[in-house]
Amino acid sequence: MTRLRAGVAILLLLVLAAIAAPAVAAWLGVDPEVPDILARQAPPSIAHPLGTDELGRDILVRLLIGARVSLTVGAAAAVASTVLGLAAGLLAAWRGGWVDALVMRLADGLLALPALPLLVLLAALDPSAIGLPRGDASADVVRIVGILALFGWVGVARLTRAAAISVLARDHVRAARALGVGEGRLLRRHVVPALAAPLAVAGSLAVAGAILAESTLSFLGLGIQPPAASWGNMLANAQDLVFSAPMAALWPGLAIALAVAGAMLVADGLREG
Amino acid sequence: MIVWRVPQIAATLVILSLVAYLAIGAMPGDPISLAMMADPRLGPEDVARMRALHGLDQPLLARWWAWAVGVLRGEFGYSRLFARPAAEVLLPALRGSLVLLGTALALAAGIGVAAGMLAALRPRWRGAVDALALVSQAVPAFWLGILLIILFAVTLGWLPAGGVPDSGGLAEALRFLVLPVATLAVAHLAAYARHTAAAMADVLRAPWITAARARGAPEARIAFRHALPNAAVPLLSILALDAGGLVSGALITETVFARPGMGKLLTDAVMGSDQNLALLALLLVAGVTMLATLAADLAQRALDPRLAA
Amino acid sequence: MQTPPAALTRRAAVLLALTAGAAFPAEAQTQTQTQARDTLTVGIAQATGTFHPNIESMLAKSYILGFARRPLTGHGPDWKPVCFACEAVPTIENGGVVLETTPDGKPGMRVTWRLREDGRWGDGRPVTAEDMRFAWEAGRAFETGFGGAEFYRSAYEFQSSDPRTVTLRFDRVNFEAGSAGGFEPLPAHIDRAIWEADRRNYRSRTAYDTDTANPGLWNGPYRIAAVQPGAGVTLERNAAWAGPAPAFRRINVRVVENSAALEAQLLAGQVDMISGELGLSLDQAIALEKRARGRFRFEYRPGLVWEHLDLRMDQPPLSDLRVRQALMMAIDRGRIVGSLFENRQPVAATAVHPDDPMVDKSLAPWPFDLARAQALLEEAGWKPGPDGIRRNAEGARLSVDLQTTAGNRSRETVLQVIQGMWRAAGVEARIGNQPPRVLFGETLSKRQFNGAVLFAWISSPENVPRTTLHSDEIPRADRNWSGQNFPGYANPEMDALLEALPQELDAEKRRPLWARLQAMTHRDLPALPLWHRAEPHVLPQWLDGVRPTGNMSPSSLWVTDWRVR
Repeated sequence: MTRLRAGVAILLLLVLAAIAAPAVAAWLGVDPEVPDILARQAPPSIAHPLGTDELGRDILVRLLIGARVSLTVGAAAAVASTVLGLAAGLLAAWRGGWVDALVMRLADGLLALPALPLLVLLAALDPSAIGLPRGDASADVVRIVGILALFGWVGVARLTRAAAISVLARDHVRAARALGVGEGRLLRRHVVPALAAPLAVAGSLAVAGAILAESTLSFLGLGIQPPAASWGNMLANAQDLVFSAPMAALWPGLAIALAVAGAMLVADGLREG
Repeated sequence: MIVWRVPQIAATLVILSLVAYLAIGAMPGDPISLAMMADPRLGPEDVARMRALHGLDQPLLARWWAWAVGVLRGEFGYSRLFARPAAEVLLPALRGSLVLLGTALALAAGIGVAAGMLAALRPRWRGAVDALALVSQAVPAFWLGILLIILFAVTLGWLPAGGVPDSGGLAEALRFLVLPVATLAVAHLAAYARHTAAAMADVLRAPWITAARARGAPEARIAFRHALPNAAVPLLSILALDAGGLVSGALITETVFARPGMGKLLTDAVMGSDQNLALLALLLVAGVTMLATLAADLAQRALDPRLAA
Repeated sequence: MQTPPAALTRRAAVLLALTAGAAFPAEAQTQTQTQARDTLTVGIAQATGTFHPNIESMLAKSYILGFARRPLTGHGPDWKPVCFACEAVPTIENGGVVLETTPDGKPGMRVTWRLREDGRWGDGRPVTAEDMRFAWEAGRAFETGFGGAEFYRSAYEFQSSDPRTVTLRFDRVNFEAGSAGGFEPLPAHIDRAIWEADRRNYRSRTAYDTDTANPGLWNGPYRIAAVQPGAGVTLERNAAWAGPAPAFRRINVRVVENSAALEAQLLAGQVDMISGELGLSLDQAIALEKRARGRFRFEYRPGLVWEHLDLRMDQPPLSDLRVRQALMMAIDRGRIVGSLFENRQPVAATAVHPDDPMVDKSLAPWPFDLARAQALLEEAGWKPGPDGIRRNAEGARLSVDLQTTAGNRSRETVLQVIQGMWRAAGVEARIGNQPPRVLFGETLSKRQFNGAVLFAWISSPENVPRTTLHSDEIPRADRNWSGQNFPGYANPEMDALLEALPQELDAEKRRPLWARLQAMTHRDLPALPLWHRAEPHVLPQWLDGVRPTGNMSPSSLWVTDWRVR
């Protein structure tokens, strides 16, 4: 229980920080996106508590603003993968037969693929080609979440399928089925509740995975586009000058580690029940 | 049942190759467009001729078919990016990844399983092991890699900052391996530690372990002879997934440490529109992963007859 | 029990300590390189593909081949044409270039090169006219796939009276023909048979790629002794080289594509120097110089690399000249160059480099003048809106796309600064960076951008910009998207200038044409000139004689001048 509490506390703290970001920016009187190239890589000061980055922007405010993007990517990717995976897993378990085989082979195929090159391939596609606006951080978030969910549903689907099959095989469920209880009701009443705990665990792990994946895409130049801040692109942008300004890389790295650790702690705590 | 998995794997590979071929082919920016940027004097006729020369005037599906027939004959084609036969480019990268990831995963599995057992058998250590697993999973790989380079290569000068040795024996090769292996092992050991700890804890609660204890069997014997083999069953599926990682490489670590490997190769091939190379590498990775998963399933069935039902 | 968050905090403290140390790299670790300096290790940031001199042009290849082979001609560090494999650059004055009439009655010319007497392939065989004949034949056969197709199309006849004399006849007059582009000797005794056996597949069968370590392929001071695909090459002294002996027994060229990793390998003493042609970014080198001035020597050479923003000028809002000029004057290039690049690279007036012989020095770069920019925008009908972004009479916002290559941090940085500066003028810029493959292979080459794209053109001195400014070179589907006039600049006067320029053999008579060309691009702004990029060479203190060229002939061509101090 301590772990669940610690994890929730960390994540709550980060969410609060993200919510407070505009207020902090206003209080410090800085704009997180407008460069000030006369104040590049300034050391920490009252005006810039963590100093400034390679374009003279306040690192603290960018970290807080970046929390919004990174946490949104994490949460949205987790929800999307869980929903997709749940649907696919239930479908496979409930229909069985060729549907089951098809879904599971698709899952195996995706699992067997090296995810990163495919992420790169998908990330390289132009969002404006499918009608998303360009140069807009929210469009980038949608793109990244979509890509992550495309790979993330597999684990959830396998988990769901295994659990659903075992529930559907239980005597009282089979009896209910024989009595003519509707299929939808059956899934809702018996299967889904049994899945809540493992899904919560998988969802928390997906949050952690998505935050790390965002930083990896940024490392490759395919993450959230500048000037919007995310922890991943802050870290990636700092790497060229990492030897002269190591702190600019240190803070976003720590923020990522903290958020991932928080999500993992939640998963651990949930697993222990 | 299990015999059906092999044709299924083969069918998946065929579909995969088709999908990947179409996806890479449909990506914006074909080789000729890129050549045009490099050589401004290419006129419209030159472009048309070059497209014909590269077969780009054929429909994608026809090109895939020609490629697939070639592969079945053992002709893997030519890597446009590296100007060498695709198989010849693949092998050194594969060797690089096997060495790097093999060492890292062996280390990760060894330390992870040991740490997991420690956590299960000595509750006092549990917190420390959990914390280790947590941190190791939370740190972004390229961040850790750069920190290690800054400390051990640049500041202290003990170890090379990356690359591969030009010459020298095993000792030199090992020196070059330390930092990248450490970066990778840290990322992978958490899964082993967590799963071992959980599985061992489960097994240790089993009645037959209690019975063995009651019989007065020594604790070490219980841990290694009774509990570990049973706890190993779920670990096999992690191992199988990591076996895929052995051939798919580790893009970030390979990039930060400038080592040749499959991760970098795959990404370069995809981004550089090098279809022959990308397809060959993708199929190799997917095939190995699926076969390893199959092997893990078989092994699990052998170890745990209940699963065979 | 230790709680995980506490453990994390402690870990963080350790990491802090580590990185704090990194700000002061130890000075005492040059230990690995103190042995006799007969090996030089060079770091470059790009991997190579083919090693064939005429197939595909890549900076990394041209740098490596600079050590290992002698082209016919090139441009020296002073940007004057020089001969490598020949005795003198042919000109009208020395009789190497003779004007004549082609068999079908058009004005043409005949250019004669005299090959050096001491040119030798690495297996001891002399470099002869047969090697040039093979290069010309292979270049003319389009299925071979050589670059520079136009040169070979124009060179319709090859003549040779003796093994050291080579004459080409051209079906048009061009002042650049004497410096021969990519025309250079290819080892006929090795590659001709391969080419004749299968011309279509020569590109994948050439000995340059199947047998790269064959000494007979190389006629430079070094030969490629081993290739590690994607990781680098090892060069050894060429036993048959008859010129001045190079200083190093062996040169290793290492490929490290990640720039932070490249810098780390330099600091760790694993590479001795980083090539300026393709190594660190300028801002990275400047930051490094501040910390490691004593350990390394830094040389910055503003080269013929023109960083600019191509504008989509045939579509509103950028079709309005006033808007383009306003965008130009809203960018404070002086401040960017000053604070990001420490004034190491000159602000550009036009695409023509200030050191180019044909530059019009009277043409000053556009000034930074926010007030005039705003006035021009007002005049063009763009009035300030409630959110600070200007709107026209129909209420449309003045918003343009701003794109560059994703992953190029230096350019991404510049782009964000420009975005901020345009905002101050009431112009919204939407950044949408793309991987190089997409940006160059699709967005630019198929003209799918509709705002501004930041990238660079690399050229040689006095290079006529026909492909970027002639209206025939606007990429179109029916022309297979060939051409590089991405902005869509169409001006009959410019077309006439671009056609007249190459045919004028008298340099002094070319000068007014060049001046007019510069004045037109300066006024019409199909592209906003930013600056001429400087290449930062990072050299060890003990190495002398490396002369950055700043043009397409890499510094490695003069490796015989490199000396250990």
